[in-house]
Amino acid sequence: MAPFVIVVLAFYAGPLINILWLSVTDPEPGIGNYQKLYETDALGRILWTTFRICLITTFFSVALGYSVAYAMVHAHRKNQHIMLTFLLVSFWISVLVRTFAWLMLLGRNGLVNESMEAIGLISDPIRFMRNELGVLIGMVHYMVPYAVLPLLANMQTLDTRVMSASRNLGATGTQTFWRIYLPLTMPGLIASSLLVFILSLGFYVTPAILGGGKVLMVAEYISVQLLVTLNWGTAAMLGTLMLFSVLALLWIMSRFMQLSAVFGGGAAR
Amino acid sequence: MQDKQFMKETLVESAHAYKAGRMDRRTFLALCGMAGVATSSVIAGDAKAAADHVVMWNWGGQSVECHGSAIGDAFTAETGLGVKYDTSGPLEGKIREMVDSGNVTADVADADLFNAVSLGPTGHLEPIDYSIVSKEKTLPQYALEYGVSIILYGYAFVYDTEVYGDNPPKDWKDFFDTANFPGTRALYKWANGSLEGALMADGVAGDDLYPLDMERALNKVKSIKDDSIYWGSGSEVHSMCVNGEASMAIIWQNRGRNIETDTEGRYKLVNNQAMAMPGAYIVPKGNPAGRDAVMRYIATAQEVPAQLEILNCLGMTPSNPAAFGEIPEDQQPYAITSAMNIDKIVYNDPVWWGENGSEAVNAFLDAIS
Repeated sequence: MAPFVIVVLAFYAGPLINILWLSVTDPEPGIGNYQKLYETDALGRILWTTFRICLITTFFSVALGYSVAYAMVHAHRKNQHIMLTFLLVSFWISVLVRTFAWLMLLGRNGLVNESMEAIGLISDPIRFMRNELGVLIGMVHYMVPYAVLPLLANMQTLDTRVMSASRNLGATGTQTFWRIYLPLTMPGLIASSLLVFILSLGFYVTPAILGGGKVLMVAEYISVQLLVTLNWGTAAMLGTLMLFSVLALLWIMSRFMQLSAVFGGGAAR
Repeated sequence: MQDKQFMKETLVESAHAYKAGRMDRRTFLALCGMAGVATSSVIAGDAKAAADHVVMWNWGGQSVECHGSAIGDAFTAETGLGVKYDTSGPLEGKIREMVDSGNVTADVADADLFNAVSLGPTGHLEPIDYSIVSKEKTLPQYALEYGVSIILYGYAFVYDTEVYGDNPPKDWKDFFDTANFPGTRALYKWANGSLEGALMADGVAGDDLYPLDMERALNKVKSIKDDSIYWGSGSEVHSMCVNGEASMAIIWQNRGRNIETDTEGRYKLVNNQAMAMPGAYIVPKGNPAGRDAVMRYIATAQEVPAQLEILNCLGMTPSNPAAFGEIPEDQQPYAITSAMNIDKIVYNDPVWWGENGSEAVNAFLDAIS
């Protein structure tokens, strides 16, 4: 055990401590970098944009993911395999390829706009891309498989006899879903929301390209501070903030349920 | 001891000569035999440590072939040293990281002159040795302590002839005038060039640009925000034009040349009021090939044939005044220092950008997002 602990400390804790240290020492010792958070409007706005976009992305990804997972669990075994294959293929395609695919599909002169113009549905192209809508489309699309997998794991472990019993006792399909199925899938829902939200926080390529430069999220901002403007202290401060936000999220979750159950995907307790 | 040292130096010298093809294998082996050493140890050990090549750090793409044909070949012929390439892009943060970590793997970086202003005084760069590099072979304002301009690139703009066929935009004023020239604009996300263009559009004369009036520039940029998209890399703006997403785009003049070709003339480059940006060679502190070798490399890049070949191959404009008059006829419209354009361009101030660039980029990002 001990050697592994040392490896983990050296490769994870070491750099993390370095970042924390940098955030209070560069360019000068003190909490100046953290003061910037409320002193400059720009930082607050970037964090708010990031939070808002991640929240919306999480909502739509999990909603879509829930339907997909539900359909998969209840499909025939053969169809289930086909669906899983499609899911995994989209899971494996690189973020850059998917981003450019959206541009070709929904861009100003993309397939959708061109076709709608050709059949006279619209006169001016719809601005799907190069704005916040574009970022959301790209991010939700990327995140759906991440949302599906924990939900799938959770739904597969449910005892279907409980639902049959509910129907047998006179509940309608809707009642069974809201009162039995949904509560039972809560651990899966929470795990998938958490996973999607945390991964969304780090999005870089999609907002940078689909946002047309107007949607600035924290990951891109950090990279600019590191590579272009050399404000390493600011970058470290934002990185620290992200780290603690994620840890705080996990802590809040742990108050409500056993995290191991959430990430195991199995039934709670 | 003295003899041993001499022998070692001779062997290292001859290892270089052998590698560069100036000495045949037999002679080299004979020398090694006389000295009583295994050849492999000389080549692999000392010769390597003494560095038999310079590492050029650039931005990839065509620049590897072009730097090779324009500078590398002449440099190798002259000095016997090879040239290797690192194409990962010498962003300021990466240079700082490389020097701070003490693991310097590049000898010369194809960077911006303003990088020399911001990284030089903090001890991340070697000063340019002007006894080897010539101050006369670049524009006088672009030979600085820690960097020297080798090429110029220009922030110009392209426009879509299918959108503005009869009434083409002529200058930055037209570029920022969305009332008379409706259509989407693409601007450079990292502020550079976009700010100067905005100020000139707002009526500031080219000679009075610096220090930049940030507030005025940002207000002008914000005035066309709804009609603007922003690009961060050359390939991005290239596709914005080829896909017809942008009706006008601020662009590097050499990219503009490629876009004209790729769209078969649908997009046209306007070099009027182009901002001449000094691309520069800078040397990370403690570069492995040593000061002398890298300074000689830089000196080679300053020569007129190298300058003209870079123009021909990459579309970057010479910064050596002796080359201005020799720009060939077909490159005249695209080179910003050609006789055709030189009176219409504006010179960027790398000192202002080196000292204020960070705040400017952040303020710009804040304004557009």
